[in-house]
Amino acid sequence: MGKRLLMHMNWGLIILTVILFFIGVANLYSASAFRVEGGLADTGFYQRQLLWGLIGLCGMVCAMIFDYRHLRTLAIPFFILTLLLLIAIFPLGISVNNARRWLSFGFFNLQPSELAKISILIIGAHFLSRTKSPLGWRELITILFIGLLPAVLILKQPDLGTTLNLLLLLAGIILFRGLKLRVFIPICLLLPVAVFIGWEFMLPYQQQRVLTFLNHTEDPLGTGWQIKQSLITVGSGQLWGKGFLAGTQNQLRFLPEKHSDFAVAVFGEEWGFVGCVALMALFCLFLLSIYTTARDAKDRFGSFLAAGVFFYFFWQILINTGMVLGLMPVVGIPLPFISYGGSATLVNFCLIGLVLNVSMRRFLFKNK
Amino acid sequence: MRIEIEPDGYQPPKHGLILLQCLTAALFFLFVTRFWYLQILQGENFARMASENRLRKELIYAPRGIITDRNGVLLAENRPEFGLGLIREECRDINATLAQVSLWTDIPLARLKAKYQHDRAKVKQFEPIILASDIPFEELAVVEANLYQWPGLSIITRTRRNYPYGKDFAHVLGYVSEANESELEKDKNLSLGDIVGKAGLELILEQNLRGKKGLMQVEVDSRGRELQRRQAKAPQNGDAVTLSIDYKLQEAAISALGDNAGCVVVMEPDTGKILALATLPAYDNNTFAGGLSVKEWDQLRTNPRFPMQNRVIQSTYPPGSVWKILMAGLLLQEGVNPKETVFCPGAIKYGNQTFRCWRRGGHGSVNMTRALVESCDVYFYQMGERMGIDRIEKYALACGFGQQTGIDLPHERSGLVPSKEWKRSRRKQPWLNGETLNVSIGQGFTLVTPVQVARFISGILNGGRLLKPNLFLDEEPTLQGWLPITLKQRLFLSEAMRLTVAGDGATARVLNRSDAIVGGKTGTAQVVRIVGDVRLKAHQMAYEHRDHAWMASWAIQGDKKYVIVVMVEHGGGGSSVAGPVVKKLYEHIFGPDNGPSAELADSDAARQILHDIILESEKKQPMPPVPALKKQTGKNNNEPAHG
Repeated sequence: MGKRLLMHMNWGLIILTVILFFIGVANLYSASAFRVEGGLADTGFYQRQLLWGLIGLCGMVCAMIFDYRHLRTLAIPFFILTLLLLIAIFPLGISVNNARRWLSFGFFNLQPSELAKISILIIGAHFLSRTKSPLGWRELITILFIGLLPAVLILKQPDLGTTLNLLLLLAGIILFRGLKLRVFIPICLLLPVAVFIGWEFMLPYQQQRVLTFLNHTEDPLGTGWQIKQSLITVGSGQLWGKGFLAGTQNQLRFLPEKHSDFAVAVFGEEWGFVGCVALMALFCLFLLSIYTTARDAKDRFGSFLAAGVFFYFFWQILINTGMVLGLMPVVGIPLPFISYGGSATLVNFCLIGLVLNVSMRRFLFKNK
Repeated sequence: MRIEIEPDGYQPPKHGLILLQCLTAALFFLFVTRFWYLQILQGENFARMASENRLRKELIYAPRGIITDRNGVLLAENRPEFGLGLIREECRDINATLAQVSLWTDIPLARLKAKYQHDRAKVKQFEPIILASDIPFEELAVVEANLYQWPGLSIITRTRRNYPYGKDFAHVLGYVSEANESELEKDKNLSLGDIVGKAGLELILEQNLRGKKGLMQVEVDSRGRELQRRQAKAPQNGDAVTLSIDYKLQEAAISALGDNAGCVVVMEPDTGKILALATLPAYDNNTFAGGLSVKEWDQLRTNPRFPMQNRVIQSTYPPGSVWKILMAGLLLQEGVNPKETVFCPGAIKYGNQTFRCWRRGGHGSVNMTRALVESCDVYFYQMGERMGIDRIEKYALACGFGQQTGIDLPHERSGLVPSKEWKRSRRKQPWLNGETLNVSIGQGFTLVTPVQVARFISGILNGGRLLKPNLFLDEEPTLQGWLPITLKQRLFLSEAMRLTVAGDGATARVLNRSDAIVGGKTGTAQVVRIVGDVRLKAHQMAYEHRDHAWMASWAIQGDKKYVIVVMVEHGGGGSSVAGPVVKKLYEHIFGPDNGPSAELADSDAARQILHDIILESEKKQPMPPVPALKKQTGKNNNEPAHG
């Protein structure tokens, strides 16, 4: 990599990523701890998160060093490989909590659905960048078909969160690309039907989660317990928060899933409104710096890649924080950098790497 | 300098860029608004809910007030009790654990299982179910050594009410036990499992002895596991109570009663304070604190000698000849000359009935003093008939009979002073004049409690005051009314009682001692009507048909005065059975008879001293004029006594 590459790199994005990552680790340090008689015990999640951060950093560098335009030629084979792995889960996958999501390769477990996020991003960007004008019916149906293939396979695992993430990511890039008006209007009209069909496809526990969200004052100790405790946790932080490592809801384990899906509630309890606004501002700056790369990219593929990454993070922030704040149903979608998750951290860093890749090479086209 | 790479000069879709900006802005404002709503607007609410989540309130039991005798001897205390508790969340194998507990404690496994099933629903998470309570020390050592092998089991320390003298004070102190549902309902301060007084002083003084519970704040995690505790409100000990009872005298009274069923009450006449209040047979009130089994309870309840009964206040008996003191007072009040004599041939006929004197040969010619000293029945038959039942009733009521004395013990009986009206309404029969004769010698329908007798006798010695029998050392005497007996009459009655002990032909001679002035009146109350001429001896009759033996007495030595009333149920003769009990008590109080002191050289000296004492008692608080057998007058009438 030359000096020019480094000069044009989106340094703002790197700095924001690192800040968010370390906020996440610090928060996990608190969320890992729980009070026992006579002190604190911890579950070590933050240490593992740090380790995954290092691995993610390597992934990020890997995603930066090659010219991202080579990905166009790899898009279809990569996609097919992903599909094969997703299919392989059904006979070979490891079952945890009634869900088959992992493939064992001896020394590590691979979650093909994480791979699918990257894969769908690349193939989506690839297909959409082939045409200049907004999408018509044919292109839309093609791209939706491509997206639905892995989505259905992941839904069958079952993993509603990732499925949603995938489809929303795709929808995001499509919207960014734009639709012809004669396509856009019927879609808006057909959406309620799609929602109904989606509901019919959901498993009972998934439906229950949505129902719980819609009416979470009922049954406070059952399915509504999580949301109620989450609101208490965030709300009791008040203006300045209870202080680092001082959240009672967190340490006394009233908050469920406190290191994964509800990690931001721990943050809210300990840092209060001030901390939360700052965190949201950081996330928005983070999104905006991805946005600048999408804006400044000098080819469609690069631009759409960055937009895809934007949506990938946008939906997760929206859905996870919305869930913690009682604005969304409880779906297993983590908050980037804040929630604990090994492969998710790796994927996050790789995607940031891709964005950096695009931003670095926006002036290099003439050298090709 | 911009370098165009795409052949058409790539520009990102404009509306797409706007979309991304708008979405980012919307995200920010949506969540900031929501955070503001949750943390600022509703923040206090949620903070309260968070602290409710983690802080559990727990009551701290206040130690129950101790009870001591007048010299500070502990009569009711709290001792630590060790039990075995099971926290089911921490127990790996409930059945095996219960079986082990059964081995340790000898409690049948079935009973442990039943208890576990019953209590399981009642205790909260991580609260122990009490499987065994009050484990003896030697068992405790074995349990403690092996406890580590049984997770979930723990030794629970609580306090338990303990009565060091058990039976001896059971009827005074009563007992405590877990509050039942109706008690819980009545008293909002009680909670499930609280120990409350059920009988005796424990019941009467419940509010004083109980104290106030403290509050413990316990920090728990979401699983209810306890992390930290902080005392938010200190418990307030129950009041300590000092009784007027002298525990040594109480013990003496119980040993003096021996195997008999009966009771003793020792009173200070000037204050109404009770120095001993003993009843036999008794029960061990310690057993109630740990919960009585159904079998034990049934045994207590169905025992033919009624060990639960506090005979001093809860049993009523015909007073027998003790009643003659009251009758003599009535005669004096009605103007009968004490020198008037009645001839006693051993029996008199009234209507078609024969009324016998206890001495078959008769007493010959007796005046009032002799009639009292020798306890002549015929004298009182004749005089009682002259008075009529109406006057007897009014007088007896004025003397405090037929009503509760107000002693601070529960379930006091009021006895019965019969009347024409009573017989008409209760028995649906008219009053027969012959019944008046029976009432005159304390038989028939008349029923009194021993404490009523003690209060009445005290009144004769203390200036005519009817004082509330008082169990507490520091409580001021409570004047309940005045006896309808004037000073002159009291002088006469006390002298007659002295002569009943010390005079010629005295029926209570057993009490006589030369170093104190003692007065008394025996009583032998028939339980069944005598059939035919023969009066059977006690041992010839079935136990429940034998006479009740009474002795009402007082003794004065120096400035010490005592009234002792003893009632031996189905004991036989008053002087032969109740008398020795009283004698033993005076021996306990005064020691063995040391021979006459200088001022008690002869009977005249004793009479003079007694005379002076009765006069002296009048000076403290002069008695208001005695009305002619009407309701008592108010206390504001402070005219000097007449007569």
